[in-house]
Amino acid sequence: MKGTLATGLLLIALAAAAVPAAGQKWTAPQTPWGHPDLQGLWTNATVTPFERPAELADKPVLTEQEAAEFEKRFAQARDADRRVGAGTDADVALAYNQFWYDRGTKVVGSRRTSLVMDPPDGKVPALTAEGQKLADARAAARRQSPADGPEDRPLAERCILWPTAGPPMIPVGYNNNYQIFQTPDHVAILIEMIHDVRIIPLGAQPHASPGIRQWLGDSRGRWEGNTLVVTTTNFTNKTNFRGSDANLRLTERFTRVSADTLNYEFTVDNPTAFTRPWTAAVPMTRTEGPLFEYACHEGNYGMTNLLKGARAAEQVTEGR
Amino acid sequence: MRHRITGAMSAGAAAVVVAAISLTANPTAGQAPAGQTPAAPAAARQAPARPAPAGQAATTYKAPRSAFKDGKPDLNGIWQANNTANWDLQDHAARQGPLIELGAAFSIPAGLGVVEGGEIPYQPWAAAKKKENAANWLKLDPEVKCYMPGVPRAAYMPYPFQIVQTPTAILIAYEFASASRTIYMNSKDESPADTWMGWSRGRWDGDTLVVDVTSFNDQTWFDRAGNFHSDALHVVERYTPASRDVLQYEATIEDPKVFTRPWKISMPLYRRVEKNAQLLEYKCVEFVEELMYGHLRKKTK
Amino acid sequence: MNLMGTKIIVALVGVGMLCAAASVRAHHAFAAEFDAQKPIKLEGTVTKVEWINPHAWIHIDVKRPDGTVEQWMIEGGTPNTLFRRGVTKTSLPIGTVIVVDGYKAKDGTLKGNGRDLTFKDGRKLFIGSTGTGAPNDPADTPR
Repeated sequence: MKGTLATGLLLIALAAAAVPAAGQKWTAPQTPWGHPDLQGLWTNATVTPFERPAELADKPVLTEQEAAEFEKRFAQARDADRRVGAGTDADVALAYNQFWYDRGTKVVGSRRTSLVMDPPDGKVPALTAEGQKLADARAAARRQSPADGPEDRPLAERCILWPTAGPPMIPVGYNNNYQIFQTPDHVAILIEMIHDVRIIPLGAQPHASPGIRQWLGDSRGRWEGNTLVVTTTNFTNKTNFRGSDANLRLTERFTRVSADTLNYEFTVDNPTAFTRPWTAAVPMTRTEGPLFEYACHEGNYGMTNLLKGARAAEQVTEGR
Repeated sequence: MRHRITGAMSAGAAAVVVAAISLTANPTAGQAPAGQTPAAPAAARQAPARPAPAGQAATTYKAPRSAFKDGKPDLNGIWQANNTANWDLQDHAARQGPLIELGAAFSIPAGLGVVEGGEIPYQPWAAAKKKENAANWLKLDPEVKCYMPGVPRAAYMPYPFQIVQTPTAILIAYEFASASRTIYMNSKDESPADTWMGWSRGRWDGDTLVVDVTSFNDQTWFDRAGNFHSDALHVVERYTPASRDVLQYEATIEDPKVFTRPWKISMPLYRRVEKNAQLLEYKCVEFVEELMYGHLRKKTK
Repeated sequence: MNLMGTKIIVALVGVGMLCAAASVRAHHAFAAEFDAQKPIKLEGTVTKVEWINPHAWIHIDVKRPDGTVEQWMIEGGTPNTLFRRGVTKTSLPIGTVIVVDGYKAKDGTLKGNGRDLTFKDGRKLFIGSTGTGAPNDPADTPR
């Protein structure tokens, strides 16, 4: 299939870009039972944007010098200690000092200008008519009732699910940390936010039946050579990854390409929502532990505060 | 080793006996292939009506070894308690539940306690607080709000949990509230702050996984009966394979701010043996939002 | 670097950076909780620190000119990023005087977000591993 071939070639290119310099052959370590060893602590924090900006449509890869310059400018532009303009929502949204953030400081090893790899223009493909209808309905609901009740708020604010867990697993402004554990018949991924654990059975057992729907879907894994391939289905109908719906079928590929780099790539296959499948790669690099507990709901003063704030704002506008 | 052998089973039983003998003779020979786990000694197969008193000899069962070839027992799997400890750690009679509408579907069943010696040694002020907790259970029990259950309660919530074991760290994922904890093996690291699920450091004592848990906040309860602790809580857990499908679980609880001395609970944990057993999601935050935030909802005209 | 290269980098930074690798909606919408029209600048004494997620909260006593004491709660970020740099629950002792530059809660209560947290001498909180403002520890150590 064309999509799979393109994905495979991209993966090889990515792997080639990430391995150590010639003259130093690196052999992938194995677990005692002969599986590639992906274990340890990893982070996917990066400054590379998810989609390729329009200005860079013809520049899929940066040179080393351009990448260094970009990283420097990113750090300056995103420095939360730079006050944008006091008294604006933008300043409020920057929220707090730089020391609370940990966005990452580097572009991805391949220096591509987007995490989206396929389509080649580095942009998420268009939604189908059905997908657009769903997106419009979701946007309308947000405009209509931005804070009538907790269910109007994003999943992260409700402490239900964070983009770092997905799947697919995408970095955010901080705590982009993962710990991988392996046994002969399972791979487990501990995700710092929100203490989610993905336990992926290896082997031939089928996915859960369609009656089981989960926020993180239902995953099954297998080894293809040195690559762990994980397919995930059974998402809920509240799943929304850039416009996805409950029919999302996600394929993730994990390949360790050096001591410190784990190539992570995912393909979104969701024909009711997107006009074509698409693939992105978010490499993971070794990081130091430990992961810390991220108990979210237990400390979620923010939900109470923002609902109270919304009610207070309504009283003002209603002139009471 | 006493066990009944029928004609149909004799060949399999013979293989089991051979495997048992070879495992006993050479404990580091690597893991036994599936299906050749030695039969549990008869004494361990009879689950006692009361928890085993402290000091009783450990089971003679020897679990298969970890695939990491470190000589340690393999505790991987999905496990679940099957008792009423989450209702009440102590002996209790059946009684009316908190919501009339739920009738017999949610009243409180009778149960035998899991506390060794039966008594939870509260300091006088704490005994009064426990009574107050029990009287205001629905309002105060953190379980009702889908808060993470802490340790040891997570082990005996009526939901399964899964152990994923490696030599350097053991991950335990709990179905309730997607809670999880990592047991750092042979570690001296300390937690920077207080947590819901504690900070766990593990080591092996023969075939028993011993976990030292500290750095708790004071927010969790031990059960629905209002049994509680402070942020000085210190728990030492012991997980011992008792048979192929049973882990013997013990937890010693110490809290000098609340109790007059340490005390101990113990119970079996049972493997979920269904062929395709897996943890599912119980992300209960959704189910408590109306309870917790409904009073802040926009009033419809 | 040539002019074209610089233009490219500036473009990348300017346009793509609003939401580097994550959906904008995913991050906590502070603008829903705090009021851009109600800036605050407070000096207060730390009475309690909640090292919790999703946001740490620093409780401070603020003495008003008329002598009354107001009890404020100041919202910070996730403490996990601080823990990774060696900060612990003892790093901001009770009694420490801090300055809060931020915005007041929309619901009118004595809460604010800590848009900029400093000590009285202007040093930022939590720079360095001990939180004492050790000048040689950079804010964002590359890992």
